[in-house]
Amino acid sequence: MKRTVSIIIITALIWMGCENRTTSPGVTDTEILVGNIQDLSGPIKELGLLIPAGTNMYLDYINAQGGVHGRQVKMVVEDHGYNPQKAVVAAKKLVEKDQVFCLYNVIGTSPAEAIRPILEESGVPLVAPGTNSSSMSDMSKQAAKYIFHTDAGYDLQTRVLIEYILENNPDAKIGLAYQDDDYGANALKGCAEAEAKHGVTVQKESFQRGATDFVGQTMNFMKGGCTDVIIGGIVREPVTIMKTAQAIGYSAAFYGLGPTVDPRVGLLAGEAGEGFIAVYWAYYPYSDEPGPVLYQELCEKNNVPAKMRGLYHYYGFATAHVLVEGLRKAGKYPTRERMMKGLETLHNWDSGVFPPMTFSRNDHAGVESVILLQLQGGKQVAITDWRN
Amino acid sequence: MIKGRYDDENLKWIPVLILAVYLLPFMIKGATFSYKYYLYVLNIAGIYMILTVGLDLLSGFTGLMSLGHAAFLAIGAYTSAILVDQAGLPFELSLIITPIIVGLFGFVIGFPALRIEGMYLGLTTMGFGFIVKRLIIAFRDWTGGSAGLQVSKATLFGFTVSNDWNNYFMIYTFAIIAIIVARRIVKSKLGRAFMAIRDSEQAAQASGINIAKYKMLSFFISGMFAGFAGVLFAHTSNFISTDHFDILLSIYFIVMVLVGGVGSIYGAVLGTLFIVLMENMFIPLFKDSLTQYVHLEAGDFQVFIFGLIMLLFIIFQPLGLYGMWLKMRIYWKLFPFNPRKRFT
Repeated sequence: MKRTVSIIIITALIWMGCENRTTSPGVTDTEILVGNIQDLSGPIKELGLLIPAGTNMYLDYINAQGGVHGRQVKMVVEDHGYNPQKAVVAAKKLVEKDQVFCLYNVIGTSPAEAIRPILEESGVPLVAPGTNSSSMSDMSKQAAKYIFHTDAGYDLQTRVLIEYILENNPDAKIGLAYQDDDYGANALKGCAEAEAKHGVTVQKESFQRGATDFVGQTMNFMKGGCTDVIIGGIVREPVTIMKTAQAIGYSAAFYGLGPTVDPRVGLLAGEAGEGFIAVYWAYYPYSDEPGPVLYQELCEKNNVPAKMRGLYHYYGFATAHVLVEGLRKAGKYPTRERMMKGLETLHNWDSGVFPPMTFSRNDHAGVESVILLQLQGGKQVAITDWRN
Repeated sequence: MIKGRYDDENLKWIPVLILAVYLLPFMIKGATFSYKYYLYVLNIAGIYMILTVGLDLLSGFTGLMSLGHAAFLAIGAYTSAILVDQAGLPFELSLIITPIIVGLFGFVIGFPALRIEGMYLGLTTMGFGFIVKRLIIAFRDWTGGSAGLQVSKATLFGFTVSNDWNNYFMIYTFAIIAIIVARRIVKSKLGRAFMAIRDSEQAAQASGINIAKYKMLSFFISGMFAGFAGVLFAHTSNFISTDHFDILLSIYFIVMVLVGGVGSIYGAVLGTLFIVLMENMFIPLFKDSLTQYVHLEAGDFQVFIFGLIMLLFIIFQPLGLYGMWLKMRIYWKLFPFNPRKRFT
């Protein structure tokens, strides 16, 4: 009897002592493995090069300082070619075969949506999915508790822009050019909110993803007498629309959603792009905040070519902060559960790259405010404070 | 010309092969910890197999080219998703209804096939693929537009097929049935009519074959196979989106049939397995070491390899993998009395 009791007590003690030392797959004594799925062969493959490069720059910086709790953070990148089906295969491979600790920055809305069942099944968290769609932080959707979204949604961006326009000119006639897909649908959602709130009607014109000709849409805005036009595109769309407007002698103020912050818009649009206002949801890469300053320093140190620097390279660098913070919060013996719980404790966390960020059990939307940047003399200048 | 060689088959190996198919997951599970990933890849291969067998009936046996099979797969997947998740139909019923609906789409596409052939038919079916993609986006209330659609898991006779393991057995049971059905079709009057049309339309007509009927029927049957694959695809990947069903996928299916061997059911099966395994397992294995010598971006690598494989097959092995196997078999049967010319 004594023997049995002592065995039980010893076992219990060992078990209690060991309990906190268990770690999830992907963690060894020296390394934490993180999985990333990018578009390396599809329509946005240039981003697939830039974003992981930015992430690796920050991870190298962290690893050089001794890593996270003494472990080096290593990232594997898989390709999905902007195909949700391939994203599923890639996620299965990362989770089952490579045994990553967590997923990070799966780019594109539909690929990120497609891997929800895998997150649910395997319990692997996804940090900073690479999409501005607010559906990522919709807590009623499948596997929502595993997804930690950083970017401010397109709906919020659209609403803020409309409100900004109406503030400056209550009689403004607003136009919205939206992409005929999930990106556009999310922008329309924000537009509908603003319409209901302020009692205005926005003239909406759609275009297809990858379209190169915007004469019809621009003419329609001109016919409709729009004084302010919001462009829900990436780079080509705002440039083409502004140049078309200039060519046909239509003068309106132009605005763009998150992806149009890319410095190439200013470079390509030239004179036609002067005064273009875009929304952004992180400290701009060239501002004086600590994050951007570190970014510039690291770029100089690593001899990053000038053409690589900018929005997307910086995006990888910025979202890596959230990943590393999550790994830190997971503790010395990280498990996926602890990482998720840790991220949910972030309250007004100042990362230096994003405005103060809050996650909680019921709220996985990271940045919920945006800043407006205007092209002035070819340079982007912040013209407002953080708005939401 | 191919028929004679393909007819020579040994049926006693078939049950052994089927048994091996069912034992394979146990072997994989025993061999590796990450068996779920391999099973998932095999599941996708199984689904595509059903489709390529149907495509082979159309392209290989009837001689009609289709660049629209990704669209047939898409229609199948979306129809089943809508029927099961939105209309509340049981999965078993969808398995029957959806292939018929997709078959009817095939029937419609069959109309132009009566007048045009070859490259022009390829272009027509390709156009059909684009139209379907736009239509799926347009009917966003049901299909979720280009944002994609979440699909429930399959429930077969009260049993939820919840993971890759169960899925494997479901998919391969259906794949085996599809292969058997396709073999029966090929051996029947229907199959002979298809082959007659492929070899010479005039001769077929002179022999009393109703070309219009059989061409449409070929499209209908091929569509049914694709629809069947679509149902399984939707409920296996649990998420469908128009981004997946593009022209490239249609071309992949043709590559699968080509590599396997045009005009043989087993060829389509082998080709599908070869391409899917190549894409997901072997290319990643060699990618890192090969990119040291050939400077290619990671994404282009796969396209490069597939292009190369297709070229090599068309030039050196026009009969495909199955033809290769048959040649090998005959070679060893006749050894050492091989007429050299026949096997080079």
